[in-house]
Amino acid sequence: MNQTLRRLLASQNMGALLFDTQFTIVKTNPEAVKIIKSLGQATFETDLLSLFPELIGNESFIADILNQKEDNFRLDFISRLNDKGQSFFLNLLLLPDEEPGHGLLILEDVTTSTQALQAMNQQRYELFLYKRDPQFRKNLLSESLLGNTEKIQRVRQTILKLSKVPSATVLLLGETGCGKNLAARVIHYSSMPTDSPFVDINCAALPEHLIESELFGYEKGAFTHATTSRRGLFEEAHNGTIFLDEIGELPLNLQAKLLSVLETKKFRRLGSNLAIDINARIISATNRNLQEEVEKRNFREDLYYRLNVVSITLPPLRELGEDIILLAEHLRKIYNIEFKSQFKGFTDDARQILLNYPWPGNVRELSNCLERIMIFTEKDWIEASDLAMLASKPMHSTQSSQQWVIPPNGIILEDVERQLIESALKQAGNNKTKASRLLGLSRDTLRYRLEKHQLG
Amino acid sequence: MAKTTLIKKKICLLGPFAVGKTSLAERFVYDRFDEKYLTTIGVKISQKVLPPFKNDRDGQLRQHTFLIWDIAGLEKFDRVAENYFRGAAGALAVADLTRPETIEDLVKFCEKFSSINPKATIIVLGNKSDIFQRDETTLAELQKMAGEYSADMLLTSAKTGEQVENAFVMLSNAIGNYQ
Repeated sequence: MNQTLRRLLASQNMGALLFDTQFTIVKTNPEAVKIIKSLGQATFETDLLSLFPELIGNESFIADILNQKEDNFRLDFISRLNDKGQSFFLNLLLLPDEEPGHGLLILEDVTTSTQALQAMNQQRYELFLYKRDPQFRKNLLSESLLGNTEKIQRVRQTILKLSKVPSATVLLLGETGCGKNLAARVIHYSSMPTDSPFVDINCAALPEHLIESELFGYEKGAFTHATTSRRGLFEEAHNGTIFLDEIGELPLNLQAKLLSVLETKKFRRLGSNLAIDINARIISATNRNLQEEVEKRNFREDLYYRLNVVSITLPPLRELGEDIILLAEHLRKIYNIEFKSQFKGFTDDARQILLNYPWPGNVRELSNCLERIMIFTEKDWIEASDLAMLASKPMHSTQSSQQWVIPPNGIILEDVERQLIESALKQAGNNKTKASRLLGLSRDTLRYRLEKHQLG
Repeated sequence: MAKTTLIKKKICLLGPFAVGKTSLAERFVYDRFDEKYLTTIGVKISQKVLPPFKNDRDGQLRQHTFLIWDIAGLEKFDRVAENYFRGAAGALAVADLTRPETIEDLVKFCEKFSSINPKATIIVLGNKSDIFQRDETTLAELQKMAGEYSADMLLTSAKTGEQVENAFVMLSNAIGNYQ
């Protein structure tokens, strides 16, 4: 090994081991000793194959290198664990030395770059498996109710108990956007076989005249356009879970039918006399105060008690303290994969804003907020300025309840957006930062929308 | 008492990502299992001494120390990948029974491995048998694939430990008797 090579290796923190045809190490540079010590080797072996068993099986190939019959032998990303449990990654490169009958093993510690690569692969594969593999989804979902606060821990404990009782009816309560849908899925996946159905019904989204046929199905000829028979969502959920989201919106006449299904575990398709047995866990959810709705006679008392066998209240985000940061970090990682961005985290100021904001829309609002920022911003860290629209709102404020009314002849949403942006710019004296605050947008989002509408 | 000859052999765990290669190695070497999926980068080597066996040809007692190469589920077979495979006496080629498409992917691994180590022994494993809902098409496909490499086939579960030790012992015996 000549002087220039020695200097080059030292400048790159690369180790070098000179060995002979017996695979005995005859010389090392200080960097090699340092790398080998970091691996937790108690004694410095002089036998190359004891030090690097990764080379076993390739003795004849290495001999060919020493005899200059082969150029090199390279092993990348060799993983090692030291006695403290720390993980290291090395690249090994074997070259013939200028001294006949000798070879040079070059060592490069690539731990930092490899760990970054590993994190990236981990996210990519997890996303693939999540979409593809029900068992993986089941495992991951059971870990997905993130948080260390006592309130979240209590929710997780209740879900764990429910996973052992797959027939128990569950009522999920909590503000909008605080994870009732996720909790329902976690209950389902932690208590049912992976291939059992999870049928998600938003009671508020179904038109009133269709709810009954959607839930219970119908026979051919049951009504004018029933040209074929159709299974309802209750049938689809057999041996699984039926999730009735926004149960507080269910019309009173259907509340009676649902009560009957819960009591008898049977139902009839529209136009049929045949009772069909149903075996499914019922999970319902609402952001309304159902007890008040019972008092106002908007919700049947008997149904309320039938649904409320076990109730879980999901806490609002503003009550979760440091868990807000945990969730924000989790979402950042997800959006980094989705948008192929490289955000490393949040600055201290940005964290403070996240902690102070009241999050009336809960996790859904947090998720949308970060998604917006990560689509339109390109930098390493999410800063306070990116969250300006949150900082401008007072702590624990309530959102305006002003109602927007659509005129009878409708609107063109694009025109309304354009007019609102123009109005905000006018009010802010053409200052784009101020205008973006007025609109609850980041500056970059506003810039994107100005370009979209060809304004300024 | 007959003298036992100790021999070190490099063997590879081959297969696409997330089929359970690391879990099989962990179960065999340390008798443990972790539910959490952690992707492997590059290669991780562990060692285990296998039970002695009698060589069919000379009747001698031999014992293998396996250097188990747990290789990442590679997406391309370049020179680096070739070097991971080089010098191996055998391989456990692993597919995930719950993801039948991994069987097709495994063919590429076996082709590359055999081209580098033509004399090496391969045993094909259908892993995750604990959650596999028996499906004859998948099993037939796996059996056919094993047949193409004159390989034995086993259904394993790294989670329960089912057939894991047997897979390594079978490989050890096959290497000992045919190489």
